[in-house]
Amino acid sequence: MAVNQARRRFAAGSNALLVSVLGVAAVCVGYLLVDMQRVRVDLSADQGSVLMADTRTKLSLMDRDGKPVVVTAFTGQRGKKDSYFKDRALRDLLDELDYASQVVEVRFVDFDRERLTAEKLGVTEYSTVVVQRGEARVDIKDRELFKRVGKGDDRRLEFLGEVAVNRAFSQLTAENHRVVYALVGHGELDPESHDLGGLSDAVSILGQDDYELKRLDFVRQRDMPVPRVPDDAAAVAVLRPKVPIPPLEEDLLLAYLAGGGSVLFAVDPDSPVPSLLGRLGVTVPSGRVLDKMLVFPYPDRPVPRYKSHPITKDLSEDSLVTVVSSAAPVQPASPPMEGVRASTVLETSRDGWIDRGGEVRNGQGLYEPEIDGQGPATMAVALEVSRDSGLVKKGTSRVLVVGDSDVFTNGLLAEGPGNASFVLNSFRWLVGDEDRISVVGRPQATRRLAFSVEDTEQIRWLAIGLGPLLIVVLGAGVWASRRGR
Amino acid sequence: MSGVYTIWKKEMRVYAVNPTAYAFLAVFLFLSGLFFYLGVTLTGEASLRVLSSNLAIAELFVLPMLTMRHFAEERRQGTLEMLLTSPISPFALVLGKWLASVTLCVLMFLGTAVLPAILAYYGEPDWGVVATTYLGLFLAACAFSAAGLFSSSLLDDQLAAGLVGVLLLLPFWLVGRAEALVGDDLAAKLQPFGVLTHLESFGRGVLDTADIYYFLAMSFAFLFLTTRSLESRRWR
Repeated sequence: MAVNQARRRFAAGSNALLVSVLGVAAVCVGYLLVDMQRVRVDLSADQGSVLMADTRTKLSLMDRDGKPVVVTAFTGQRGKKDSYFKDRALRDLLDELDYASQVVEVRFVDFDRERLTAEKLGVTEYSTVVVQRGEARVDIKDRELFKRVGKGDDRRLEFLGEVAVNRAFSQLTAENHRVVYALVGHGELDPESHDLGGLSDAVSILGQDDYELKRLDFVRQRDMPVPRVPDDAAAVAVLRPKVPIPPLEEDLLLAYLAGGGSVLFAVDPDSPVPSLLGRLGVTVPSGRVLDKMLVFPYPDRPVPRYKSHPITKDLSEDSLVTVVSSAAPVQPASPPMEGVRASTVLETSRDGWIDRGGEVRNGQGLYEPEIDGQGPATMAVALEVSRDSGLVKKGTSRVLVVGDSDVFTNGLLAEGPGNASFVLNSFRWLVGDEDRISVVGRPQATRRLAFSVEDTEQIRWLAIGLGPLLIVVLGAGVWASRRGR
Repeated sequence: MSGVYTIWKKEMRVYAVNPTAYAFLAVFLFLSGLFFYLGVTLTGEASLRVLSSNLAIAELFVLPMLTMRHFAEERRQGTLEMLLTSPISPFALVLGKWLASVTLCVLMFLGTAVLPAILAYYGEPDWGVVATTYLGLFLAACAFSAAGLFSSSLLDDQLAAGLVGVLLLLPFWLVGRAEALVGDDLAAKLQPFGVLTHLESFGRGVLDTADIYYFLAMSFAFLFLTTRSLESRRWR
């Protein structure tokens, strides 16, 4: 009897143990499977908690390559204002890189405690990031990772770390270093200016793909016996000349195009239009583009619609708006010129039009059919010019005409959610790096609390005292009522 | 399902008149307020991130203490045999008790609603991040309550059950900080098992299926083991 009972208990016990072990094992296997097919959704307001598509694209290219990359980040100076934010931002970035790539190894080093590591890497400053790939390395300094923006109470710290690390990846992996020339000498936008109308941020964004923006001044070109676009030019940008480009210089650009080169033209409603555009079949009619769909509260900022084109494909998928300001209409020839394939990149909605003055109501121009041009109005057009056109002698040339130069400036790059991607993708398309086209992220900002020393007292009592006090009172009430029964 | 509801109602009634529940609730709110205050004054940031990791650790200690009485007390009073022979299945019994603990956790989190309100008054918090932070803390609370129930099903003594519950959960906290104890390589391998590792993304506004699964799986595993533990009384 006792033997039977023991046998039964043993059978039931081992069965229960087996089922328990199998149950827990199934849960663990489930975790491994879910871990392999992770889905991550970023619900933060600035969508800055996961890596931008651009960085992910680069990481996957590096993963495919298989060569290890080590990213070492050093802590900020302890006790300094913002050191907490700096360390946290860097740590978050490293976590995301670690998660997203198999070849990237990340290290977060305490600069004060692990001096040996710092000395071994030759790092002498706090909040430095060192990105190494084989023998090559790129050092990213604090000033490239963090930027103070705004004034007075609005002054805040922005984290540009992902953009900087992304750029370092490009520099380390790329055999992709390309030089883009910006034509100067006719009052064009200044690549070195940090003003709202300058191009310094665009230069920085282009650096993400290891594109270097150099000045091209035909008049002062001393290193060449005959002026011409340098041989290493991947593209030339003509960004809103204030005075007409002399015919001789336009011929030099045409010669460059004839050799299969790529050119970006940015014009404004009041800027002179290069005559070269006419030869490519693109006209810039008078007036400026307006739309009933506006970027509030600016009456001169129509919300552009993305047409099907590689430059705007990802922007369209992510619903990111590229902000244009006071744009000029650009019109490709209809029917198109032989050998020129024109594709609209940006245009207004059906409610858009080309405004040529007339009545204004509440600061907003009105469509008047007698004087205005009917919409939708095109604001950017991409051309692929083949030999059949008679203009190109070698390969296919690419030309992008944008009816607004502000898109490329520091001012709108900071404002428009899609502007950085539009700018970088425009150059990627021009130089033939379509496989790199994706969405570029924006800096992450700190969300600061504004409170005085007196407020901290209030916060302390509200946070620590109020809740427990209420519970104690409630508990005492319940206890008293039960005692009274 | 009605069995689950009956048990849940009974447990909620017990919580409502149990001074221990009020005491732990007050301790929990005090700790959350303290962590919030320290985090906010040290970082000056309109975020619950510092609170999140510290509160998870507080949950790890508080929740097994809140759930310790569930089965240990039934056993001490001799009512467990009655419950197990009633038409309610062991799983429904476990589920009802667990849901009652989870409901209490929800009430605890509602008690901390003043904290995001303070953030909103003095700054502009990212509400998406606030929501995911609370979701992470809630999922962790679900898992910890399940672990507490399991320890309660193992032992007759309430306090011992509470302590075993804490000991059961401690490794899940420590493996996330293993680099201080073991080498970097081993620490990296252990990290995916750590509770704090999985709370990290929630604190940044990111919902990750692996993190959500981790807490749900942990809850399920402990509830499953609790059911097995209760069923074992039939053949022991």
